[in-house]
Amino acid sequence: MKLVIDEIRCKGCNLCTKVCPYKIFREGKKLNRRGIAVPELDRPERCTNCRLRNLYGRQLCGVCQLTCPDQAIHWIDEEPYEPHKVAIEY
Amino acid sequence: MSYDDWFRKDRLPHIFCAGCGNGTIINCTLAAIDQMNWKKEETIFVSGIGCSSRAPGYILTDSLHTTHGRAIAFATGVKMAKPDFNVVVFTGDGDMAAIGGNHFIHACRRNIDMTVVCMNNQIYGMTGGQGSPTTPKGCLSSTTPYGCAETPFDLCELATAAGANFVARWTSYHVKELEKSVKAGLETPGFSFIEVLTQCPTAFGRRNKFRQVIDHVEFLKSHSLLKAKRDRLVEKHEHVPEDMFVVGELTRRNRPALGVKP
Repeated sequence: MKLVIDEIRCKGCNLCTKVCPYKIFREGKKLNRRGIAVPELDRPERCTNCRLRNLYGRQLCGVCQLTCPDQAIHWIDEEPYEPHKVAIEY
Repeated sequence: MSYDDWFRKDRLPHIFCAGCGNGTIINCTLAAIDQMNWKKEETIFVSGIGCSSRAPGYILTDSLHTTHGRAIAFATGVKMAKPDFNVVVFTGDGDMAAIGGNHFIHACRRNIDMTVVCMNNQIYGMTGGQGSPTTPKGCLSSTTPYGCAETPFDLCELATAAGANFVARWTSYHVKELEKSVKAGLETPGFSFIEVLTQCPTAFGRRNKFRQVIDHVEFLKSHSLLKAKRDRLVEKHEHVPEDMFVVGELTRRNRPALGVKP
């Protein structure tokens, strides 16, 4: 699974930067076409739900998705054989 | 299958300001409803007038957007006519506590089987930031420019005193707890009332030194006192801070309810 921010729905309130326990979301610097700074993802492979959703078969954490007032955060499955980084938690 | 299926995707993004907590509360409520395995045809969302009452417009079920303050009155009618339907009311503090106060306490008294989610942003957000019955003492609004001098309503105490079966209070920071609390409220037969304190960056935060949304969420987080901790403090006869509000499941009882599914 990978984390995606929907740029059409996001209004740039940066609430996700506050609630994520891994601090994956960072305040965006660049304004997009609608004049909104969409948050950037800082090493999203550390996200618990991305790593373990398919293993456990249920939603893990998901606080950012529940908190996002604009329903802009969601997870999608990777394409087959899509390269992705793996985070190792010590 | 997730709660995302309950949204009207063609209506999103919604009309709420950037950083408004109402979207968070809709997410939590829908996540709880999704766990209940209710059918979309048998669930009705009712709302009155105000920012919070725009919520049912983004949900893919039948909904009623009714007159100011009368959301609970209309919901009572729906529940009495169709006891098989599941009724959820979204309402705000100005809608429910100010103009709809009578309907609210009488719905608590009758103990009608419905769930009321009150998005308490402590101000009239949509009409330009007038002071509402829940504006805390000393807070500025456009009708209280020298600071609110009146004592605010404690809606949870009011609902408990009027006879509701389930009463809880959370903030828009406590999303997981709120989801569990809404689910417990939906499962409880009888009137369940969940008050959610939420941030309002446009009308409340702008006038009350919460210029950034995150500052207000931080305030809600740091000034919430868990009920268990409050009880411990009271037991030990220690000082309970006045500026903090109690969060948690405040009341759960089993009084006879009206309109429960046979």
